[in-house]
Amino acid sequence: MIALLLALPLAGAVLLARASGRLAVGGHALTAVATLAVGLVVAAGAVRGAPAVALDGVLRVDALSGWMIAIIVAVAALAAAEAPRYVHAGSPRVFYPLFHLMVFTMLLAVSTDDVGVMWVAVEGTTLASVFLVNFERTRASLEAAYKYLLICSVGIAIAFLGTVLVYYAEVVRQQGLVDHAPHALRWTALLSLAPALSPRVLELAFVFLVVGYGTKAGLAPMHTWLPDAHSEAPAPVSALMSGVLLSVGVYAVLRFKPIVDAAAGPGFTRRILMALGLLSLAVAAAFLWRPGNYKRMLAYSSVEHIGIVCLGLGFGGPLGVAGALLHVANHGLAKAVLFLLAGRIRAAYGTVDLAGVRGLLGALPFTGRGFLITLLALMGLPPFGLFTSEVMIFGAGFREGHPWVAAAGLALLVVAFGGLLRAAHDMLYGVPPAITREAPGGWPAALPMALALVLLVLTGLAWPPGFAGALELAARVVAP
Amino acid sequence: MTTASNLLAFVALVVTLLLVWRQSWRGRARLFVVQSVVLAALAVVIGVLAHRPALLVVAAVFLFVKTWVIPRVLRRMAEGAPLRPVAPGRSAGISVLVAGALVVVAYVIMLPVTDLTAAGVATRRAIPLAFAMALIGLFVCVTGRDALGQITGFLVFENGIFALALLATYGLPGIVEAGAFLEVLVLVLLMEGVVVQIRREHDSLDVDRLRELRG
Repeated sequence: MIALLLALPLAGAVLLARASGRLAVGGHALTAVATLAVGLVVAAGAVRGAPAVALDGVLRVDALSGWMIAIIVAVAALAAAEAPRYVHAGSPRVFYPLFHLMVFTMLLAVSTDDVGVMWVAVEGTTLASVFLVNFERTRASLEAAYKYLLICSVGIAIAFLGTVLVYYAEVVRQQGLVDHAPHALRWTALLSLAPALSPRVLELAFVFLVVGYGTKAGLAPMHTWLPDAHSEAPAPVSALMSGVLLSVGVYAVLRFKPIVDAAAGPGFTRRILMALGLLSLAVAAAFLWRPGNYKRMLAYSSVEHIGIVCLGLGFGGPLGVAGALLHVANHGLAKAVLFLLAGRIRAAYGTVDLAGVRGLLGALPFTGRGFLITLLALMGLPPFGLFTSEVMIFGAGFREGHPWVAAAGLALLVVAFGGLLRAAHDMLYGVPPAITREAPGGWPAALPMALALVLLVLTGLAWPPGFAGALELAARVVAP
Repeated sequence: MTTASNLLAFVALVVTLLLVWRQSWRGRARLFVVQSVVLAALAVVIGVLAHRPALLVVAAVFLFVKTWVIPRVLRRMAEGAPLRPVAPGRSAGISVLVAGALVVVAYVIMLPVTDLTAAGVATRRAIPLAFAMALIGLFVCVTGRDALGQITGFLVFENGIFALALLATYGLPGIVEAGAFLEVLVLVLLMEGVVVQIRREHDSLDVDRLRELRG
């Protein structure tokens, strides 16, 4: 089943490279729906019980992987539904294959047990998405693609250095070389060996891993590529990048956390994660008060939310980690919807400048209302899920004995909230320019996004049966 | 064994320092090839002495990718671009000084890690040398004025990490090693696509001209 989940988007990507016209759209839709269905089945199995293993243990889906798979396939389906609107800017033979290739690399990154393969997959996400960032081939998107490729490649190379050091720690522990090298980088093997590994080597490795994967996750101060890439990419790609790709970076760090904690004690990773989380929040909050471009505004808000997730992981404990995982899901859905709506706003107004968008509620009642509601969700207002996960995260901060960090985080959250609210007010009200029109498609085209909003209300108000158990099981994987 | 591997790591570091000192782009590209040859030799030495035949394959692939494919792609990127000194009007002295300081930094960071009594990894004393190479590569990358300079820096950085992996662990599991080579190759090819387009748009490879996106 896991192999099928990975084979689907990969096969789709290969076949779509030759398709065009209606065939391409049909193949794209088929691949997206099939990936969604199989992904949800795999995830449902994993969050309920024992981990599933395939390919001689290289692929292993436990509850945490299942949780991530569910988020990835859901956001990917959401983005895929909007994709056909954007393909006309370039070639469908570039867009659809790379889109599904990106989904494939993300799924591989979260469903492998081998941290080396995970590294290869995370690097693969960058390579697959570079041409999607530059899909419109403007000067700005070209610049964004160049920065994205260079900065993320440097970051991921640093993560490679961290992985090498983890392996070195294992080699040192064995007083020689590991005979069965193919299994040496298995996460499960590392976790069982961890208490005996050298804490100094693992601490150093963790610094490199956080900086490296943190670059992919968009943590400040390694976030500089993010606003460019996320604002210049076509809307479905931005949705995928902001919604889940960042979380895959966080996931990679999260996998190493229990290993380092077991060797060096929890204090080390906790301090690093809390510091980076607060810094990301501060950087984003400062920017959100002077945004010039609403797609950049959304991108910086992603930095903010990844910072919150990082704080949750830093506070730790089952509550903090569960809150962080729930926040990843909520933020993924909300941000994906917002980027897709931002794409429609851009199509209608013809600009991404905040100053150029006025009277959104009057000009585009459908899109405008959706934008307002989802933005309120993103700001963490009840009854949406982000409120719940933020309460869990900051609650964990106070409970685990970090009241000052939690208080500082809350203060920055309020600052960011104010900035977003001001920008949203400017966009939503005022006199709309004469030439704007609602994107075609009517309500069926809005159905996936409406579904995402319903899910957000569900995670906020009424957890479906089994949801709490799944979340706890996923958190327990890394926070025993 | 350690004498040979230490010597090769040291030679590679000296080549890296020379690369920082050289101010012409072609000179730097040539020194990158020299560095790659030295590191391939390092892989062969460690492979022979540690009885790891897989490392000989790694060395061969490394040699093919780093001294044949990548220099060709770099040359294609440079075609038509006005080749000027790497840092006009700046003396190479300061860069070399910074690079020297980075060697010290590399020792400060890596010594606690290499002091461990790890009987199995005889080559661990040379780890700081490899890490210094990586740091210097990163320095060349972030101070590069044009796309070619930054990419050269990145490649040196990548070579340093390869050397570190060799010295610390005698090479990673095959699937990871293969993946890493494939990624570098794809990355450089993608870079070529982006850089060629940058040149077409801006008529230059200067990264100073890339300033559409701010804030």
